Amino acid sequence: MLALVLSSVPHLSDDFRAYQLGTYLLYGVAAQGVALAWGRAGFLPLGQALFFGLGAYSAGMVLIASQANATLLALLPLAVLLPAALAYAIARLVFARQYVSGPNFSLITLALAMLAAQLANQWSGLTGGFNGLANIPEIGGLDRYSTMYYLIVALVVASTALLGWLYRTPLGALWLAVAQNENRLQFFGFATDRLKALAFALAGALAASAGALYATQQGLVTPQAIGFELSTELVIWTAVGGRFGPYGALLGAVGIGLLSAELRDVWIHWQVAMALIFILVVLRFPAGMAGALQTYGRRLWPRSWMAGEEPLSSQSAAAPNYLPAPPRNRAADTSTLEPIRLEFNRVNVRIQGVSILSGLQLHLRGAGIHCIIGPNGAGKTSSFNALTGRLPLSDGDIHFSGRRVSGLRADTIARMGIARKFQIPSVFSALSVRDNLCIALWGNRANALQLLQASTWRWRSTLWEFLIASFPFLETESDRHAGELSQGQRQMLELAMTLLMEPRLLLLDEPCAGLSVAETGQQTDVIKRAVTLIGCTALVIEHDMAAVARLSDQVHVLHQGRLLASGSLADIQGNPDVQAVYSGGQK
Amino acid sequence: MKRRSLIQKSLAIGSMASTGLLSHRQLFAAGPVKVGVMIPMSGPAGLFGPSAKNCAELAVAEINARGGLAGSPIEMIVSDAGVPPAEASQAALKLWKGQKVQAFIGMHDSAVRGALVGVFKGQVPYIYTSTYEGGECSAGTQVLAETPAQQLEPVIPWISKERKLKKWYLIGNDYNWPRDTNAMAKKYIAAAGGSIVGEEYLPFTTDNFDASLAKIKATGAEAVLITLVGGASVGFNRAFASFGLSDTVTRLGTLIEENTLAGIGAQNAANLYSSSGYFAAIDTPAAIDFAKRYTARFGAQAPPLNALAQSVYDGFLLLEAMANKARSMDPQKLEAAAKGVSFSSPRGQTTMQDRHGKKDIYLARADGSGFKVVQVFKQVGAGKNC
Amino acid sequence: MDASAVTLALNLIYHIAVLALVGLGLGIVFGLLGVMNMAHGEFIALGAYAMLAVQNHGLAPGYGVALAVLGTAALGYPVERWLVRPLRSRPLDTLLATWGLSLLLRKSIEAVFGRQYQNVSNNLSGTSTLLGAEYPDYRLLLIVVIFVGFALLALWYRRSPAGARLQASVANRPLAQAIGIDVDRQACVAFVCGVASAGLAGALLAPLVRVEPLMGMDYLLDSFFVLVVGGLGSLSGLAAGSGIIGGTQVVVSTISDQTGGYVAVLLLSIGFLWLRPNGLLARR
Repeated sequence: MLALVLSSVPHLSDDFRAYQLGTYLLYGVAAQGVALAWGRAGFLPLGQALFFGLGAYSAGMVLIASQANATLLALLPLAVLLPAALAYAIARLVFARQYVSGPNFSLITLALAMLAAQLANQWSGLTGGFNGLANIPEIGGLDRYSTMYYLIVALVVASTALLGWLYRTPLGALWLAVAQNENRLQFFGFATDRLKALAFALAGALAASAGALYATQQGLVTPQAIGFELSTELVIWTAVGGRFGPYGALLGAVGIGLLSAELRDVWIHWQVAMALIFILVVLRFPAGMAGALQTYGRRLWPRSWMAGEEPLSSQSAAAPNYLPAPPRNRAADTSTLEPIRLEFNRVNVRIQGVSILSGLQLHLRGAGIHCIIGPNGAGKTSSFNALTGRLPLSDGDIHFSGRRVSGLRADTIARMGIARKFQIPSVFSALSVRDNLCIALWGNRANALQLLQASTWRWRSTLWEFLIASFPFLETESDRHAGELSQGQRQMLELAMTLLMEPRLLLLDEPCAGLSVAETGQQTDVIKRAVTLIGCTALVIEHDMAAVARLSDQVHVLHQGRLLASGSLADIQGNPDVQAVYSGGQK
Repeated sequence: MKRRSLIQKSLAIGSMASTGLLSHRQLFAAGPVKVGVMIPMSGPAGLFGPSAKNCAELAVAEINARGGLAGSPIEMIVSDAGVPPAEASQAALKLWKGQKVQAFIGMHDSAVRGALVGVFKGQVPYIYTSTYEGGECSAGTQVLAETPAQQLEPVIPWISKERKLKKWYLIGNDYNWPRDTNAMAKKYIAAAGGSIVGEEYLPFTTDNFDASLAKIKATGAEAVLITLVGGASVGFNRAFASFGLSDTVTRLGTLIEENTLAGIGAQNAANLYSSSGYFAAIDTPAAIDFAKRYTARFGAQAPPLNALAQSVYDGFLLLEAMANKARSMDPQKLEAAAKGVSFSSPRGQTTMQDRHGKKDIYLARADGSGFKVVQVFKQVGAGKNC
Repeated sequence: MDASAVTLALNLIYHIAVLALVGLGLGIVFGLLGVMNMAHGEFIALGAYAMLAVQNHGLAPGYGVALAVLGTAALGYPVERWLVRPLRSRPLDTLLATWGLSLLLRKSIEAVFGRQYQNVSNNLSGTSTLLGAEYPDYRLLLIVVIFVGFALLALWYRRSPAGARLQASVANRPLAQAIGIDVDRQACVAFVCGVASAGLAGALLAPLVRVEPLMGMDYLLDSFFVLVVGGLGSLSGLAAGSGIIGGTQVVVSTISDQTGGYVAVLLLSIGFLWLRPNGLLARR
């Protein structure tokens, strides 16, 4: 439909309007990349013109060179692929070092764009310097003032369709998950830095392809196509137009960009009007103009195409033919026949002089549920953090089934079959319950291709059925956003998600916290049965002694960062050291 | 192709015009002639917009009172040339094709000029009036802008002798105008018996000039040729004076006009010279009268006159001279008429030669609150460009 | 001692001090409150224009400094109340809002003062000879003022009860609220102080720099890089960032040229941002 609307413009208006619209449509495609990175995957690129300009300059150079030697046209795809590869490299390098997206990524991209603009200005032999790369021929014999417009429309339609499709695939959901709770996503075995790099590479490709067409449409590329000002405008257009879907960015670029171009010569206060629009949009319409259109459209015409998307996974929920999920990835696993071994060997963790774990020595073997108890500050959660790569060890090491896990990344450890449930229930609050469960199911199971297929949404497993039966709300509330659930429901949801991974080692951090007595009973029941079903080892941190009694095969007491005692619950309860610690005695 | 594009249509008209079929119709047209004025209204050069627009309005009013262009009144349409070249060329295209503008007068930087020349391709008369680096020879383009040859060839020998300058330091922003200017300046300095002790090009984003000032001091430079633009020029000159260099080192600039001088401030402008085709302080009768007419029309609080704004006025005078000589607005006839046409302006007499304007060059010195002309170089040619 | 080495050293100290002064306002607003204030440069410009206004009316520069500080503070209150506070939970959205604000401020300055370059005269325009090098007096004064000011500020932040309360609400906002610190009011006061520092910076720098409506952008970019490289949320981070960025710029510009200095600063910033994502001396 977009194609129809856009193609009709030259007929309704005139060629010049189409030419002008074409330029802003190209900016819009670049802005769609910004929307992908920012609105979807949750990190803001402040220097996107870098890729736009790279695409423009490369395409310009190839086209100029191809006038002498037509075979050089084969190099044209490089104008898109090379910037995309650069984007991927930058994102991988930056995101590998830290797992939250702070302002530093944004400023790195900004600095790179500024550097590129300076080099474009300076290397005038290559780029034409300040006056720019001129006399770029029209591509494929198209006339830039008439027929080239349709090529631009084709690009816009292609990019919008591509993004629209991607947003509905499992990958699209994963990007949303990255934006909402990257930490949690890593614990399902997803390499979030790679996910973000993929998003950024695609954004770079979009910007570069837009830039390439821009070069041939304008016939001139100046350093302004690669610098700070255009980068900022792309962000502004995305923010005002709406960054949560592919249409918003187009709307922003075309709407605001064209509006500015028109008003600029007519009204001297147009910039004031623009500023007021920005402020209004931010304060009142956080989803931008596209979001506002959707909201009002939904109110006026509930069933129209403007009503927006339904929760991602519900599109397939209606289909009764579920697919059995493939077995989890065994690549990093040792043989399942061998009993599980977990060893903390004299683990020391010291942060700024405070000893968190001091010589923790704990060996576990075989299936079963082990409960870890201890007073506050004993180091229980810290031992989990050390095990899963969130707390660096000062000394000692941790082995899991013969492999050294201390010092590995969280997602690598998750892929080895170690699943963790957090103390404060950590789920993807803006995704539906069903989406949350799906993501947990995909962890360590779905390969890259499957993440692009709609059929992956229909995966179910026997454990899933079991969990639905145990926690009925997972089915009845499956379309609700996880953030709207009650605390208890969220605990259960997170437990279900952790179990769905079918891990070999299950780490549960206070799974019954905040639950009523009945709910605790339900929760512990599920844990026991699931552990038997999966055949894993579970480490459960708990304070509720009733739960401990119900669950544990073995109990371990931690105190001041080290193991105090191990044994059955009766043994522990009779141990005088333990009694002293709990009743406030000295140790 | 069932629909011809507008561009193809106008090409057809253009070719018909060259056979004279349409020109008669245009000659007797009572309708106004639309002239596009491309001046920076936004961006770093936007501060020249208001004064340039005023000069354009003044020119249009006066020319219309004299009978207009080849008998038709001028209708002026202003467009912002301070935007990136892509947008500027789109705006020009809109004026040309959409609003049927028949001539363009542009006062903007070379990047925009390159873009516009690429759009016009000689099919519409285009008069470029801002100071620039020389070398523009495209069909349809007339250049009133001062070239480095004009601004420096007579000036450097004179000022070297006057101020006893032997060691020169060249400093400018990093793009083609300063580089080309300095390339020519080096020849003139050598011819005047001087030597270059330093040459530096700064990125546009520089706002800290201390390193350059230290170098100027260390090399013992006696004169600094400044090809910095905009804010960099103001910042550099202020810092220059703050280090006490202005007492011992002479500064010469080719793009230092009244606004920049105001920003530099009188206390920082000792021994600062500027070479240009126009200053508001020129005391020839024509210039004084022009300044009076400007003030009468726009008031005493109007944006002050400067060379860049005034060049737009001269651009209109050139267009008038071309149109009256060709007695038509046909692009080919105007192109032919432009060869050797001469007109008198507040600056003095300007004669077109080789697409460029031979004119008087003024050397002024900063003095109190403005410039004071210290030497006039009459009828300086623009050098070899085409 | 070699005069050019002394000049280099003084240039270095001056540049670092000015970066710290300019970055202080953004350090408070972005570092402590997490607000990406894209209008930071315009508040500096307002401070400079305050000096101009006072000068045009023939009053002493001291009044200019006072007007700069009070004027920007007065403007900061409604901005915090109606623009920043509603967006507290959406930090990246404040970027767009403050961008709009910066446009509005720039246009207001243009409307009142016009677009041309202005000159704020320097009443201390002589030079003094320090260890053989001639250096502008005003700059020397500024260096002293900045160092003393920062020392006092550091003392206040570390030792005073108000400073401790501020540190508390930065470190753990809900907890600070729980123990009775009025975090909303504190955020408001901090924001106002942040923009007032920007105004002060503009007023102090006005006699030395170019004054025109577009002057703010350079300061904004410099401040962002200084803060993110040095580490958000602490004075020592601001100092570290200023030292690194300023030092690189001055040293490389002197050894090579200004282009080299500019490129070196960008490359160094990228390096720091990549290898030390939380900045050199991060506090949050």
